[in-house]
Order: sequence, then C-alpha cells, then structure tokens
Amino acid sequence: MKKHVLIAEDDTALADLMANVLSKYNIRVTITYNGKETVEALGEEVPDLLLLDILMPVLDGHGVMKFIREKSLECPVIVLSNLSDKETMDKCKEMKAQNYFVKNDLDDDDLWPAIEGYLR
Amino acid sequence: MRKTIHSASDGIALKLKILAKEKEDVRRKLVVTAKKLRLKARQLAATAREKEVVRRKLVVTAREKENVRRKLVITADELRMSRKTLEKKVLERTKDLEKVRAKDEAILASIGEGLVATDKNGRILLVNKAFERLLGWKGEKRKGKLLSEVIPIIDANGKTIPESERAVTKTPKERSMTTYYKRKNGTSFPVAVTVAPIYIGKELIGTVTVFRDITKEKEIEKARSEFMSIASHQLRTPLTAIRWVLSSLKREKLTEEQTKLVKTAHETSMNMASTIRRMLMISHLEEDGMEPELEQVILQKELEKITRLHDAHRQRSGLELALQCPQDLMVRTDKQLLIEILDNLLSNALKYTPRGGKVRMSVTKEKESIRIDVADTGYGIPQEEQKRIPEKFFRASNVDSPVEAGTGIGLYMVYNIVRLIGGTISFVSQENKGTTFTLLFPS
Repeated sequence: MKKHVLIAEDDTALADLMANVLSKYNIRVTITYNGKETVEALGEEVPDLLLLDILMPVLDGHGVMKFIREKSLECPVIVLSNLSDKETMDKCKEMKAQNYFVKNDLDDDDLWPAIEGYLR
Repeated sequence: MRKTIHSASDGIALKLKILAKEKEDVRRKLVVTAKKLRLKARQLAATAREKEVVRRKLVVTAREKENVRRKLVITADELRMSRKTLEKKVLERTKDLEKVRAKDEAILASIGEGLVATDKNGRILLVNKAFERLLGWKGEKRKGKLLSEVIPIIDANGKTIPESERAVTKTPKERSMTTYYKRKNGTSFPVAVTVAPIYIGKELIGTVTVFRDITKEKEIEKARSEFMSIASHQLRTPLTAIRWVLSSLKREKLTEEQTKLVKTAHETSMNMASTIRRMLMISHLEEDGMEPELEQVILQKELEKITRLHDAHRQRSGLELALQCPQDLMVRTDKQLLIEILDNLLSNALKYTPRGGKVRMSVTKEKESIRIDVADTGYGIPQEEQKRIPEKFFRASNVDSPVEAGTGIGLYMVYNIVRLIGGTISFVSQENKGTTFTLLFPS
C-alpha cells in the first residue's frame, strides 16, 4: 500500500509545491489548508507522516498536535513553521513533534532526507 | 645822771639791739619770702610752660581735627559719588539681567518641544508654549498644581500610570521613555519624554520634563513594521518554495551541467534568504525589540552547520577551512543570535580572503567565558579604517567591489548582536596579512 502524507499548510502555493515534490516518491498526498480540516482528515485516516504548519487559521498547529495526543494517534509529525522562537519550538517538542524546521532557516538540505526517512 | 645816761644809753642800746634783731628777723623773713617767691615764680614759669605745651598740643589737635573733618567731607563726597555710580551700575545690570532673563524665557517658551519644570514635590513651576499647545492647558493657571494631576500619563491601552512610575525618585537621574499623555480635552497622544533633575549646587530643587509629540514617528514605525511583515511574508514564503524545490532537485539524477546550475540557483536563493533575514533582524535590533532566548547549545554541532552552509562558496574560491572545537562543549546562549554572529564572521572571512588562503574558526573554553576566533589570511582592514568597522554600511576601501558583493551590514549587525548576548568582540587586522575576530561571551 502506498504511504500517505498529510500536508497541513495554509499557504496554498507552498502546500501544492510540497505535494508536487513529494509526488515523485510514489506516495499518496493529501493537503489541508487549516487546522480544523487537518483534524477532520486525521479523524478519517491516520497518515504515515504529517507535515504541519503552526500558524494556520481556525485551529493552529498546536491544536492539531493536541488532538493527536488526546486521541493517541500513531502519527509522526514534522513541523514546518515560520516561527523560530524557542517557546514554540519547545512546545512542539513537548507535544512530541519528531522534527522542527523553520521555513526561513537555511537547512534545506536536511529537510528532504528527514521527510524521506518516513516514506521508506 | 651818768648812770641815768648810762642807763638811758643802755636802754637805747637794748632797744637798738631789739630793733636790730627785729630787723634781722624781718630780713630773714624777707629772705624766706623771697625764696618762696622765687620758688613760686619758678613754679608759675613751669606751669606756664606746661600750659604752652598743652596749648600747642591743642592747636595741633585742632589742626588735625580740621584735617580729619576735611577728609571726611571729601570721603562723604566720594561716597555720594560712588553711590550714584553704583546705583547707575545696578540699574544697568538689572536691565541687562532682565534682558538675559527675557531672552532665556523666550528661548524656553519657544522650544518646539513641550517643557515643564516642577519643584521637588512635583508642583508646576514653569511651562512653555509648546506645553500649552500640545496639551491644551494654559500654563499660568496651572502653576503650583501637581503635574501628575494636570497631565495624566497613560499606557498604550489607556490605563493611567501611577505617579510613582514617573516621579524622579530619591536617586534621581535623567531618564527617557515613550508613553502617552492625556490632553485637557481627554484625548491622548504618544510622547517621547525626558525627565531630568534640576540641581543647584548639590541640592535637588525639582525636575524638568521635556516631551515631544511622536504621533508621526509612531505612524512611520507602524508603516515600517507593516512593510517588514510584508517583506517577511511576500518575499520569504515564495523564496522558501524556490529553495525547497531547488534543494529537492539537487537530489535528483541530473546531468553534470544541470547539477551545477541547480546548485548555483539554490545557493543564490539561500543568499537571498539570508539577506532578507538580515534585513529583518536589523529592523528588529533597531526597534530594540529583541530579547535573547537562552538555551543549551552544543557548539560543535552548530559550528559544523554554519561551515557547511559556506562549503560551496569556499570550494569555489579555493579556500581552506579549519574548525577546532572541544567536543560536547555546551553553552547557554541564544542559538539563533550566536549562529548569526558566527555566520557573518565566517562569511566575511571567506569573502575577503584571496584564493589559496586559509580560514580558521576555533573555540576555546576560558574561565567564565567562551572564546571563538575567526581568523583569515585575507586582505585585512586598513589601519586608518579599523575604528569604522562597527558602522552600518561600512566597507573597507582596499576591497575591490567586483571581488565580492557586500552590503556593509554584516558587522554592524554582529556588533549589535554581540551586545545582546552579553559578549564582546574585538579584532586584530593587518593589511594583506589577514584579520582575526575574537568573540567572547559568557558560558
């Protein structure tokens, strides 16, 4: 069965781009554009990987992670956010996010290997 | 008869004898009297002499008295003269002082910024025209009132700030702040305030407050922060997309030519992202809006990351890079800021070192601080320009501009960030020998 990646990102261009890049891995990609949609999607099907933005309308990334912990979903989370403050990063670590990438940090070359790790 | 004669002559002789004796007595008495008279005469003469002396003395005294009187008259005249001169002078000086005071007052009154002086108890002594114009109060009527009652200070949310927050306290010194003042009509406006104590000698007699309406500045600030936010989102997000596509593409099987192109494109987009990040960081720094966030940082890991970012450029420029760092050395500092400092220093070292040169980054743990040296064998900074290093937009004159594009904000930023993390930075540089920057910060 194809691996399933859920992309939760309110920036449509970025979300589509992620989906396009990931399409080469022969996987299934779903995109949600806010936290509420994400939680709904998670309720229907738990993906093999969630790429999660923090600043999203309706419900933010923290809310999504809270939902995952409350429902004890077995879902690895990689946070991709513009936020680089320690408080947010710590909060995500606490919520057991596997990885945290600051979109504007220049560790691009670490990003894809990190994602690939969950797709094998 | 004879006898009788005899007796008669005897009687006469006796009488003569008696007479002689009486005469002798009288003579003697006369002699005595004459002596006494002589004595008296001498005494009189002496007295007369004394009197003469006294008289002469009196004459002298009288003369002296006359002299003194004359002198007194002259002095009195002189005094009258000097009094007149003095009065004239005092009048002149008073007029001068009045002029100076009027001038001072005019200057005070004309200061474009609001001004109010208060006594030790915060009661208004003096206000200027700008005060009246900015706040809508007539100053004359406000004299003697508590300043805190005349102009309540409020915060951005309209909450009144208590007097204790604004008064110059027991150890008064000048201080500045930005806050909001309430006008007579109840509206408020943002102000930049400087409060300073007034001393006469060593005695504190009150405070003087100068304030400026900063409504315009606030508007500009807001526009700037809006612009920055736009820059942040509208520029960075698409750039992130580009970077991610390129970094993903780099991992594909491409032709050698394609790989080269993609790598260059990725590197360029990274540089651009880096420039935007610096712009934003400087904007933050200048707004004083930056607080360091302390966390445990494993130095070696971060340094390797930083050096890796510069690998492509370094290889292309034919430079050697050595990194020395004690393994597992942990420091408690702001990671992002430290990375920013070192990234800038390394970037400069690589930029301004000619092909074949060497760059070394080394970390030493000292007693209570961490020392990081970034040394290069580059062009160096001309002696006479070295003190200008921390200036914004400064670029050394010995670097041909086509060699490397630079903006001159890197080191300006470094110097500001170093202060934020409580560190110090210094450098030694010799033209055509190289430069070593030394960063010291608390561990």
